Amino acid sequence: MPFDLTVLLPHLDALLAGALLTAEVCALGILGAFALGTGLGTAATAGGWPGRLARLYVDVFRNVPFVVQVFFLYYGLPEVGVYIDAFWTGALALTLVGGAYASDVVRSGVLAVEPGVVEAARVSGLTRLDVFRRIVLPIALRTAIQPLGSIFVNMVLSSSILSMITLDEVTGMAKGVAAQTYRPFEVYAFLLVAYAGLTYAVSLGIGALHRHLNRHMVAGGGGRA
Amino acid sequence: MRNTGFTAHDGIVLAQGLGVSLALFLATFAIGLALGALAAVVRHFRPPVLGVALDTGLELLRNSPVLVQLFLVFFGIPALIHQPLTPLVAAGLTLSANTAAFVYFIVVAGLDAVGREQVEAARAFGLSRAQLVRHILAPQAAAFAMGPLVGLAVNQLQVTSLVSVIGVVDLTKAGDILNLRTLRPFAVWTMVGVLYFAVAKGLTLLGHRWERRLRAHAAPSGL
Repeated sequence: MPFDLTVLLPHLDALLAGALLTAEVCALGILGAFALGTGLGTAATAGGWPGRLARLYVDVFRNVPFVVQVFFLYYGLPEVGVYIDAFWTGALALTLVGGAYASDVVRSGVLAVEPGVVEAARVSGLTRLDVFRRIVLPIALRTAIQPLGSIFVNMVLSSSILSMITLDEVTGMAKGVAAQTYRPFEVYAFLLVAYAGLTYAVSLGIGALHRHLNRHMVAGGGGRA
Repeated sequence: MRNTGFTAHDGIVLAQGLGVSLALFLATFAIGLALGALAAVVRHFRPPVLGVALDTGLELLRNSPVLVQLFLVFFGIPALIHQPLTPLVAAGLTLSANTAAFVYFIVVAGLDAVGREQVEAARAFGLSRAQLVRHILAPQAAAFAMGPLVGLAVNQLQVTSLVSVIGVVDLTKAGDILNLRTLRPFAVWTMVGVLYFAVAKGLTLLGHRWERRLRAHAAPSGL
């Protein structure tokens, strides 16, 4: 059988429905990971038990494979009486793991804020909370946006694993199409290029956002552009 | 009568799975490291067409889900060439290629970090390209690349957990098997998670020790 992509044409709507589900679960996961990562990253800069707890959390979720986390949430939790359906398990799993990765980025962003800026804000009479909310976090996120973007892109790639817990996102749908058409090579090659194209588009968008957020910054002193 | 309790044999099943995961990781990481580094060195001398081809092809591998790559190799290639692939061969091929793609971009960055003036100086002293790579580029690029490579290794170890979908009996598949018999997913996936965690942490510690040794000779102003 020669390579023939037209066999996919009758199944485009199924793939598109899957892609939509991928988009939904990833959007939820990314929002969750952003919130969790900001919280954890901030906590990790603190001393004492909040810092230790945040660092332990990050350590666990970064060093256990995503599949195992997903299986634990989907198959393990019902054993102790917690039932979550596949879609919300997916969103939760993406949030938990993405939050761990985002936390590291936010933490180093917060640590990179110059102490002088914070002192100036304190002297101007801002409360600690205001300093954090209006000065430290915006500056930290401005530097963190690019690494955060690649974490979010990775989350989209990881979401394909959710097909293993019966979620019919785009990889799950593709499995069905491959079985129906007997053309697995065309189906998965198309899917691979589609994912790569999507991540490329997202990284272009993140680059543009990064430039937009840093538009008022003076161009760096001779560093590589 | 169905025995659903944990037995000593379950430990052996898990240990065997862990062995398969580790062996697969070590083999594919070594192959990926060699291929990726070789491709990066070739790319460093800017061959006209090959450079672009490498960049595009490996960017595609780096930016798509490993699960889809596994499906493409295990289900897609046999359909195209009418030759079956065993799960282990498919897993080995996919993970090696995937690792090579990530290694390529790390090593390219490492090589770029070595100053151009050093290359020119070495060439002026009459070093051949091979000598230049061996004595000037490789030691410094290795020191630059070591940190990201350790991170990649921890990541690729976790990625091996996906080969269970195509039927390789690795640690995750062993967990699956135990889970089917004992019906205790909470305990089983916790155990499997702890095992992966322990190996990943060990790998990180080992990597950092190695990184310090490589960096011992690098000037502190290196970064």
